[in-house]
Amino acid sequence: MPATENQPSFLGRISIRRNQIIAMDGNHEQELEDLELFQRHIGDRFAELTSPPDNQDSPFSGESFLSISWLRKLVDVLLCCEAEFKAALIMGRDPSQISKPPLDRLLSDYMERAVKALDICNAVTGGVDSIRECQKLAEIVVSALEQKPIGDGQVKRAKKALSALMSASAIDDKENNHPRYAERTWSFGRRGNNSGGNHKDRTNHGSFRSLSMVVAKNWSAAKQIQAMSSNLAVPRGGESTGLVQPVYIMSNVMVFVMWALVAAIPCQERSGLLTHFQIPKQFGWAHAIIGMQEKIGEEWKKEGEERDEKLEEAAAQVAELAEICQRMEEGLVAFTAADQRGVS
Amino acid sequence: MERHLSEKHPPEKQLSNVSDSSDNRENGTSIATTLNADHHDHPETETCDQLASPSLKAGVKVEETDNTSHEIEEVDQEEKENDEKIEDNPPPEIHYTLETVSQDIDQFITALSATPKDAKETTVEESKDEKMSMEIPVFVVKFLDLVEEKVAKHELTEGKGKWGQNPEEDSSFLEAVNRISKLTSSLDGLRSDPNHAALISRNGGIQQRAMACLEDEFRFTLEDIKHNDQDPNTDAKGKQHEADRCVVQESESSVTDNFLGYSDDAVSKLNRIAKEMIEGGFESECCQVYMMIRGQAFDECFVEIGFEKISIDEVQKMQWEALEREIPLWIKAVKEYASIYFVKELKLAEAIFSNYSSISSSLFSNLTRSVLIQLLNFAEAVAMTKRSAEKLFKFLDMYETLRDSLPAMGALFSEEYENELKAESTTARCRIGEAAICMFCDLENSIKSDTGKTPVPGGAVHPLTRYTMNYVKYAGEYIATLEQVFREHSKIERADSTSRPRYESESQNFNNDDDEETQSPFSNQLMRVMDLLDSNLEAKSKVYKDISLSCIFMMNNGRYIVQKIKGSTEIRQMMGDPWCRKKSSELRNYHKNYQRETWSKLLGCLGHEGLQVNGKVIKPVLKERFKSFNMLFDEIHKTQSTWVVSDEQLQSELRVSITAVVIPAYRSFMGRFSQYLTAGRQTEKYIKYQADDLETYIDELFDGNPASGARKRP
Repeated sequence: MPATENQPSFLGRISIRRNQIIAMDGNHEQELEDLELFQRHIGDRFAELTSPPDNQDSPFSGESFLSISWLRKLVDVLLCCEAEFKAALIMGRDPSQISKPPLDRLLSDYMERAVKALDICNAVTGGVDSIRECQKLAEIVVSALEQKPIGDGQVKRAKKALSALMSASAIDDKENNHPRYAERTWSFGRRGNNSGGNHKDRTNHGSFRSLSMVVAKNWSAAKQIQAMSSNLAVPRGGESTGLVQPVYIMSNVMVFVMWALVAAIPCQERSGLLTHFQIPKQFGWAHAIIGMQEKIGEEWKKEGEERDEKLEEAAAQVAELAEICQRMEEGLVAFTAADQRGVS
Repeated sequence: MERHLSEKHPPEKQLSNVSDSSDNRENGTSIATTLNADHHDHPETETCDQLASPSLKAGVKVEETDNTSHEIEEVDQEEKENDEKIEDNPPPEIHYTLETVSQDIDQFITALSATPKDAKETTVEESKDEKMSMEIPVFVVKFLDLVEEKVAKHELTEGKGKWGQNPEEDSSFLEAVNRISKLTSSLDGLRSDPNHAALISRNGGIQQRAMACLEDEFRFTLEDIKHNDQDPNTDAKGKQHEADRCVVQESESSVTDNFLGYSDDAVSKLNRIAKEMIEGGFESECCQVYMMIRGQAFDECFVEIGFEKISIDEVQKMQWEALEREIPLWIKAVKEYASIYFVKELKLAEAIFSNYSSISSSLFSNLTRSVLIQLLNFAEAVAMTKRSAEKLFKFLDMYETLRDSLPAMGALFSEEYENELKAESTTARCRIGEAAICMFCDLENSIKSDTGKTPVPGGAVHPLTRYTMNYVKYAGEYIATLEQVFREHSKIERADSTSRPRYESESQNFNNDDDEETQSPFSNQLMRVMDLLDSNLEAKSKVYKDISLSCIFMMNNGRYIVQKIKGSTEIRQMMGDPWCRKKSSELRNYHKNYQRETWSKLLGCLGHEGLQVNGKVIKPVLKERFKSFNMLFDEIHKTQSTWVVSDEQLQSELRVSITAVVIPAYRSFMGRFSQYLTAGRQTEKYIKYQADDLETYIDELFDGNPASGARKRP
């Protein structure tokens, strides 16, 4: 501060300080405005996701929520936010600002989160592949059951594919892989095969390419989410100015989108995911995100049970159908025999 | 089975059906008529008529009811009842075998599938009626009985590798399954007719059981990969086997290895099973089994190579020493997948799913895609790690691997996947390339930031020079790749790139000059590095207070640089003759400066001027000259023998040039003036050195040896 040296007087100092404050104010105002805009854009984008324009009456209950196309939009929103964030971070800024504390630390944390997000994306890709496999099994079930009139063969075919599907989704997700469920799958598969004939069915177990090694040994999607959010502290006091806020907001957006992806798509190890990430409620931009998170949390809790139930229900129905077919056949034979005897 | 249903209906209904159909038949072509042509004249006649029809002549044996099969007791029983029922009719009991009945089935299928197409499309209603009328010949039921028996037998043995023991039986089973499948699709048109529902259902049931058998056999065969036991020699070699595979692949002897450990028999069996499964509509099951087992086999390849899946996050956190060990494994993995496994995998898929090229290519693509993505992920993860100059060469290894291994693979894939693969691998290659550029350019920064003011003792080669030049020399081994990397990846300006290497704009300038047009961006960068090093060294030379020493320092470092450049043909070529000439002349200049600085003063003592006045030698001046010569030489010897010239050639060049200047001058001075000193005491006092002594002392210079000194000597 050479000016101070030249004018060591008290008055001089005051005038300088005033100038500085004015200069800072100008910057600060601009910065606040930018921040305001950034926050609003983020809020808007997520609000749009929660209520698609074509389905305004039932923003959450629409089919699109958590569908693949919805997730695609979610990822698009992440990319949009990130682009805006990057622009805010880099454009018209002195690079030295970024390399000074606290930004240097915050940005390196941010980068670390981004790297973890990449791993999560890879895991999700693996998850999508496994869903495709499940879909193929489900398609076998559906196409077999769609045959009219349905025969013994189709029912058995459907049953086989369905039990494979059930064990696949049991392997799939450790969160839902409680022993009760796994055991039931097993016993179902066995029972089904025994009644279906004397050939054993090895399709059930191991037929599915397990998700466990998509990223790396012992890698856990849930733990990554936890690690991404653990050092995500709300900026306080003097820190909350400048770029600190955008970095914080962007980090939250990124962690949320990753969290949502992991919640929506089977991923390597997701146990405890729900408790791993909470967004503070006091921020305007976070309202839509929090709403979404709650909704996904509910779905997640429901999903496990519901999917188990539905699958088991379907399995039970198919088993019943198989039984009916079996009985019908037996009955028919008896009936025919009687009939024939009668005729002759 | 068909019989059961039809007989379940009250006779009136049957009658009406028959009359309906006969009406229809008169109206025009129908399935029934076509069928008639093959089997019998009147579709409404009892089935036993068909049995007697001429088409069934071959292989039909007259025999008692077949009671041998326990499995199909019910059918037998029902058969008996049928027999009872048709006792009135002349034809006797007929014993069917699978072979005999198969011919009839084939004809039946042909007949059945020949008709419905027009009918289905033109008049749906009509054709429905016609089909209703159709009777299913009894041999169909018989056929199903026989196949069911066969399937039941297979169900007992499946998965135990029983296949292959009796090839005839296998073929016969596959043929039977084929007929069942064809029957299924032929009967499809009759689906809506409740009369045939039971038959269709039974057929479907048998088909499902047969397919389940096939699926199990398919899985069993696929799982049965023979690793090394076909070739006992490779067992001992273990891992070396991997490296030898390329060679092995070419040699004709190892047939099994052509199919990744499957024998030709196994492959042909898989092929036949796959064909039946696909034609029977069980493609999904077949593909699923294939994907699962081959996918696992692929994962095992990873294990075999020793390359472990590492998350991107982990890669960032790994120490370079650890990561450095992973890179050769990655390179090995990429090379082996690209040159061996993928080629063989495709061959296997094409062999098993021959005639189904879309299936084989999609299975292959799906299998390999995840492996490739996995491998490319690692490359990108490595490219993301903190950049540092030491990593450059490993990065270039990776770059070369991506460049050389992946394009060849493209041909294996369908166009869609090839494009995806190309895009993915290009991205990975770009990342690695860009990182490599940054690392090499970082050499600039390490030169610039080396601003240490501590002089290297004795004017020896500076560590920075050593580091830079060894780095450059090493880069020479990668020069083609580096040139490519600089040419291809320095121009890419990524949207998110904030730090673009500086040379780019400069290379643009170079391109404007016609002379420089041929220069590659890399050689420009290299020039920059050399220039920077030069100017840095020059600054460092100023630290020495003694100008002679700073000359020695510059000579040492200059010499080192030139030697390193000349040591690498590629770098030498890149730097070019003009640079070398310039460097040599610079070195000569430093040499001259050194000579002047150190030795001209000494030679001044040996000058003749001022020694003689009017032809007479002034003794005190002469004595003074000798004294100062001795003193100066001692001083020079003392200091400069501590100086370091480690390059032997440079050292001897220096010594020779010093000797060449000093010795003749001293000799002539001695020859001319030593006589004026009184022999004995005076001579001993003032003539301290003989010319030979001087030579010896000069040879002690630049030894970096502070202990040696002239004083020790007498």
